[in-house]
Amino acid sequence: MREETRGPVYVERMSVLFRVQHMLLMISLLVLAATGFALMYHENWLAAAVVRLEGGMLYRGIIHRSAAVFLMAQLVYHAFYMLFSREGKRELREVWLTRRDFDDFLQAMRFNLGMGNEYPRFGRYGYKEKFQYWGATTGVFLISVTGIILWAETFSMRFLPKFVLDLTLIIHGYQGLLIFVVLLFWHLYIVHLHPSVFPMNRAWLTGKVEVEWLRQEHPAEYEKLKGEGVI
Amino acid sequence: MKPLRSFVMAGLLAAAVGGMATTGNAGPTVGDCQECHGDKTIEMTMPDGTVRSLFVDGKAYRSSIHGKAECTACHVDAKAPHGKLSPVSCGRCHPDAAKSYAQSTHGIVHAKGNQDVPGCEDCHGKHDILKAQDPKARTFRLNIVGVCLECHEDRVIEEKYDLPDQKVMAAYREGVHGMASKKSGLLGSAVCSDCHGNHMILPGDQPRSATHRQHIPSLCGKCHSGILEKYERSVHGKGMRAGIAESPVCTDCHGEHTITKISDPASSVYVKNVPRTCSACHDKEAIATRYALPKKRFSSYMDSFHGIALEYGMTKAANCASCHGFHDILPASDPASPVNKANLPATCGKCHPNAGENFAKGMIHVEVSPEKAMGVFAVRVFYTIFIGTLVTLFVLHVAMDLLGRRRRGKAKAGKTEE
Repeated sequence: MREETRGPVYVERMSVLFRVQHMLLMISLLVLAATGFALMYHENWLAAAVVRLEGGMLYRGIIHRSAAVFLMAQLVYHAFYMLFSREGKRELREVWLTRRDFDDFLQAMRFNLGMGNEYPRFGRYGYKEKFQYWGATTGVFLISVTGIILWAETFSMRFLPKFVLDLTLIIHGYQGLLIFVVLLFWHLYIVHLHPSVFPMNRAWLTGKVEVEWLRQEHPAEYEKLKGEGVI
Repeated sequence: MKPLRSFVMAGLLAAAVGGMATTGNAGPTVGDCQECHGDKTIEMTMPDGTVRSLFVDGKAYRSSIHGKAECTACHVDAKAPHGKLSPVSCGRCHPDAAKSYAQSTHGIVHAKGNQDVPGCEDCHGKHDILKAQDPKARTFRLNIVGVCLECHEDRVIEEKYDLPDQKVMAAYREGVHGMASKKSGLLGSAVCSDCHGNHMILPGDQPRSATHRQHIPSLCGKCHSGILEKYERSVHGKGMRAGIAESPVCTDCHGEHTITKISDPASSVYVKNVPRTCSACHDKEAIATRYALPKKRFSSYMDSFHGIALEYGMTKAANCASCHGFHDILPASDPASPVNKANLPATCGKCHPNAGENFAKGMIHVEVSPEKAMGVFAVRVFYTIFIGTLVTLFVLHVAMDLLGRRRRGKAKAGKTEE
């Protein structure tokens, strides 16, 4: 109660470096989606308008590939950062999928259906965040591989029959749609529409979240930070 | 015909000799006629009230192709002075032309006494007729279009006889043939009479017309003979020869009066317009069924990257003709066809140098159905189901989570109350 009278207390959840990575990732994914779906849904009037906005088919392709190179560079940088930096190594441990996440998920389901009394006590990242992170990462990896095959089409043709390229093309497109849908629906839910953060979790801009929010949504992390004396 | 011609010649000679022998009391000379008709003010009021000049330019007549003859060669019953003369019959000396003309649309209507259709003088002139080779002649190649359009660009006449409208004529003027003669004075360019004929003009739907479908390839081939040769070898040319009326002739792809340069975006065979031009027949269910042609060629092309790129203006993307050829187009089953399986690596290789034999495996026109392209179809179905399921699960999860949250909120509220 006394804390509330003093106003909300904040704690850092996203370091500057992660916020920059998040921002760049967001920009490149949006550009890729706009340029990619314009091609995939080319008969749509909106797609036609987007292609014209992008300066025609030729420039649409150049923009798409530039954004893709940028995205892949981020992916490589991110992998190195997560594997070798001190902060990255810690984050990787936190976001690594474990048996507990699956149990948490089942427990949450049971609770939500009224079959259990205890809602899981999430650590720094709950199953919702981990699903988001790994879903997007594998998606981006798969779409990068197919994208490179298509980009290097003159080279690919030497080894791959046309029907393989046809498959690559269709996988690339639908994989893009999948990533887009996951990001749109899931992200919209966990960081925008979820009642605890509505209308938006501002951590991606300020890097900070309310301590009270952390205590309610990620109690294990809250206790850990408290034990470390951070809060 | 020969006897008739010699008979007429004999008659003319006799008349000329007779005329010379009896100068004075026989027919009048040009000079005699000019005494009255050389006067610019001489005129006559017609029964309908219009005033008609009776002046004949003697100098123009003298330099005309007929200038050495006397007036009586045509005006056979002319005396001085005289009343109304009988009509001039050009056919007396030009029987072939008269015979052709009589069979033409113009001639048939003219014979019924209709004065709207052209007689000889409307195209050739009267006293001032010049040889067609003379650049000043009304019938000189570069002047013909203007002569025909005197009537065929007249809206009143067009409407009265249900003729092609001014747009059609304007299209010719702006088309490649019209521009070549107008801008460059190119004598080899087609003018009206090259396609429609001159004396023997008939509407294109009549089998005897020069512009009837079955005559079109040889008609265009008069000038474009190299292309005709290729066309004759093509599946379209062979079909046409076999009497299949649906087999395309030149004008089906290129247009008629509207023919423009292939580089002109308005041309029906401009790169961007080729798919739609071919699809005018190949996307027709009835034609595809009747001749056992592969279906969905247009939609499968337009969904390919080539089609999309072309639609959005990348003109270097392959269109139908890039792979299938055009004038010498052949079915894929023909070993000489560029889209025959054996030739695909070379055909694709025109743009994609690495496309080898391995690449040519698989469909080019990917028609997404289980029978035609199982792989692509399966991937599409898989992703559709996967994404659909995922979205459904998301929604379910969100709903459940919100429900659970209310319980949590209540539990917490209960706790604080305790």
